[in-house]
Amino acid sequence: MRLFGKGQRGTKVFYATDVHGSERTWRKFLNAAKFYGADVLVMGGDVMGKLAIPIIREAGGSYRATIHGRVERVTSEAEVEALRGLIGDLGFYDVVMDEDEYTATQADPDAVERLFVRLATERVARWIDLAESRLAGTGIKVYATGGNDDLTEVMATMDRTDTRAFVACEDRAVPLDDEHVMISMPYVNPTPWKTPREDDEAGLAARISALAAPFADHGKVIFNFHAPPVDSTLDTCPMLDATTDPPSQVVKGGQPVLYGAGSTSIREAIERYQPMLGLHGHIHESQAVARLGRTVCVNPGSEYGEGVLRGCLLTIAGGKVTSYQMTAG
Amino acid sequence: MAAVTTVPEVFVRKSSGLVRVMSARSAFVYNVLTMGLIFPWTYLWAPGALPGGQLVWGILLAMVLEIPIALAYVWLSTALPRSGGDYVFQSRVLGGGIGFTLVFSGFVIWILQWVALSGWLLSSLGFAPLFLGLGAATGSTALVDLASWFTTGTGIVVTSIANALVAMLILTSGFKNYVRLQRVMWVAILVAFATMLVVLFTTASADVPGKLDAFSAAIGGSPTFYQDSVAAAQAGGVELNPAFSLLATLLIAPIAWTSLQWATYSAQQNGEIKSAGNFRDQLFIIVGSLILTGLLLALLAVVLQNTIGTEFLYVAGAGYWGAADVSLAGSYLWPNIIATALANNPIVTILIALGFILNAHQIVHNCYIGMTRVMVAMSLDRLLPEMVSRVSDRFHTPVNAHVIYFLASLPVIYLYSNYSVDDGAGGTTTWTSLTLGVTFACGYVFVGTAIAGALLPFRAKSLYEASPGAAYKFMGMPLVTIVGTLGAIAGAIFLYLFLTKEELGLTSDLAYQVVGLVLLFSLGWYLVTYFVRRSAGINVNYAFKEIPPE
Repeated sequence: MRLFGKGQRGTKVFYATDVHGSERTWRKFLNAAKFYGADVLVMGGDVMGKLAIPIIREAGGSYRATIHGRVERVTSEAEVEALRGLIGDLGFYDVVMDEDEYTATQADPDAVERLFVRLATERVARWIDLAESRLAGTGIKVYATGGNDDLTEVMATMDRTDTRAFVACEDRAVPLDDEHVMISMPYVNPTPWKTPREDDEAGLAARISALAAPFADHGKVIFNFHAPPVDSTLDTCPMLDATTDPPSQVVKGGQPVLYGAGSTSIREAIERYQPMLGLHGHIHESQAVARLGRTVCVNPGSEYGEGVLRGCLLTIAGGKVTSYQMTAG
Repeated sequence: MAAVTTVPEVFVRKSSGLVRVMSARSAFVYNVLTMGLIFPWTYLWAPGALPGGQLVWGILLAMVLEIPIALAYVWLSTALPRSGGDYVFQSRVLGGGIGFTLVFSGFVIWILQWVALSGWLLSSLGFAPLFLGLGAATGSTALVDLASWFTTGTGIVVTSIANALVAMLILTSGFKNYVRLQRVMWVAILVAFATMLVVLFTTASADVPGKLDAFSAAIGGSPTFYQDSVAAAQAGGVELNPAFSLLATLLIAPIAWTSLQWATYSAQQNGEIKSAGNFRDQLFIIVGSLILTGLLLALLAVVLQNTIGTEFLYVAGAGYWGAADVSLAGSYLWPNIIATALANNPIVTILIALGFILNAHQIVHNCYIGMTRVMVAMSLDRLLPEMVSRVSDRFHTPVNAHVIYFLASLPVIYLYSNYSVDDGAGGTTTWTSLTLGVTFACGYVFVGTAIAGALLPFRAKSLYEASPGAAYKFMGMPLVTIVGTLGAIAGAIFLYLFLTKEELGLTSDLAYQVVGLVLLFSLGWYLVTYFVRRSAGINVNYAFKEIPPE
């Protein structure tokens, strides 16, 4: 081993996932290439935010917004801008509206859905533009897929022909470098939350097969599947009762039950095809690295709400993961 | 300007949510029990080593000085509610080198001594009183002999190894098995503590000599045990009515800190606490549990003093310090042993002993759970070998980390009960004299975290500004900076006392060498790992360093 050397040969991949609309973590993600010296950036899905916060224009000219259960009141335009920045950093969307407009929108679920689609589409488009401008001339590419929390119509925004750095990779195979190929699949096994992109295990197996089967040898293939393999420690979380709304914890003997919430189809696919690397997310609290046979499986977890970009920096060469490192940037 | 709203004015879409398993109340209870209601040193070490000190005031002083440290943890926990823990707090704010060196030395290495202490507690305060009490009740000399064996070096080492081994086997077999046991342990501990308080409360002080004499006679000891003990202490030169000493009272605080410094331990579990990001809940969990435990420990001191008298506490302390031969079949007069002797009832004996046995055993679980988590995190950060974080396919637990920690604890278990070295002045220094070394070492970790809290607004600005604690300022200064600074000063005072006052046991050459070598080893490990990893293309600082968003 060479002490004090400059590092290993290969492609340096920075992988992060589950940023859930957080402006701050997306900006960090784009800067991660330069910061970590990565050649390639991979976003593993769940890029849409979960909450939109109306900044309600009040009769007296002031504005109010509810953040973390507290009503913030501001008056000047500069304060409104600062509030919008804070909301975006937390991963929420903001929309300035009058009292009447807010009441009408809140009463109409379709209007709320349309609002989310509009706000999320705008943000994804802006994020892609930011990637193009920040990575222009660097040769660094950013690959992004959606996850189960993302709407397909919003993810369609990623399919652009005018980009050089940004590459949409959902449900397709893309080359990461001269020798390695990545296939990405955003769907997950059913959750108690009934999110937009779920499928039963048979459906997932069919989706995986459509992507993976064409390769004769999976030795240099990377699986970028949003859900982690079942019972792999990348998927440990509390068991939930789906019959309540919102889902509640299952408690036995006074203690919450923890279990592996990952996908059996994904585990079977990894065990069968033995790709070189599995990139996963979905279960934010289950940061881990595990080996299933020759496959290194990674879930860097997510701390987007605190503005922390959790990720994994990997060096790949010759169909092998030669090094990896969890990061919290 | 902000106000709390009952109906949030937000739009929510259908998406997955994060669910955490531990309620604020559970975390509060976890902290109370981690602080170790059974830790006995304050009640015997202090009277023996610090004549004239006021136990109650010393305990309350420790509680008050710990409050600013606890408050710094409240701010840090709400700023980093997902990951949390001293290692994360320090490495993100102070840098990886400092974070690793302090936490690896003060926690990972020194807590091996807690594994040994847990075995000692189990043997001396769990099994010995159990068999002593049952021996007295049944008149069985075999049970009394067995009790005595548990106070010998061999008995303590064997018990400690078995204790650590059982904990390792339970935890490696799956966390759920520990969770099942934990409920039983908590209930048993609370019952034991309550039973002990009731016995001490309801025994008239005038009856104490007679009851102790009767118990001693029942186990084949002197029928005038009380009188003999007082005489032995006086013959040993122990002043039984010393004048009040302010210094001695102050020095009781670092000993009581052995318990109260653990008020912040729930921060290691932030990822599992439901409302970890909620400022008020963190105040309740950390500061609330500290105050409750401080008051309970002070209450025990009051009850103990009122029942057996301050004078006899000095006699008991003299026995522990070897100034006089004061023991019941080899067992020093710890509060639970006094309560067992006063009650002289097999059911009370079992209730108290069971709680102490399970609490002692729970401590070793706490050591393993906390430290293997830190080790796994350090391994994922590439500061410890990869095999440390490898998770067993079969058990879904980091078996390697558990086995390594168990093996590493074996020499410490042996040293704790058997090692002594010539002190160069005709005497010997035993490893047992380093008992409070673990309080000192964990103490410098807590001071490091208090400093991290003070620097949070400046060294991790964006993280701080996004946290609920950012709203609290005093004359324009972030309140976390003020409480963190006060906490660091309070902790530094404790550390200074440990390093300079021989009554606390850490001024021997052996103590300085062990403390220094552990720190140097940890720093050396970090530096060597840093350069070796760098040669493999890994910059370990990436694990902690914040990426500038702009």
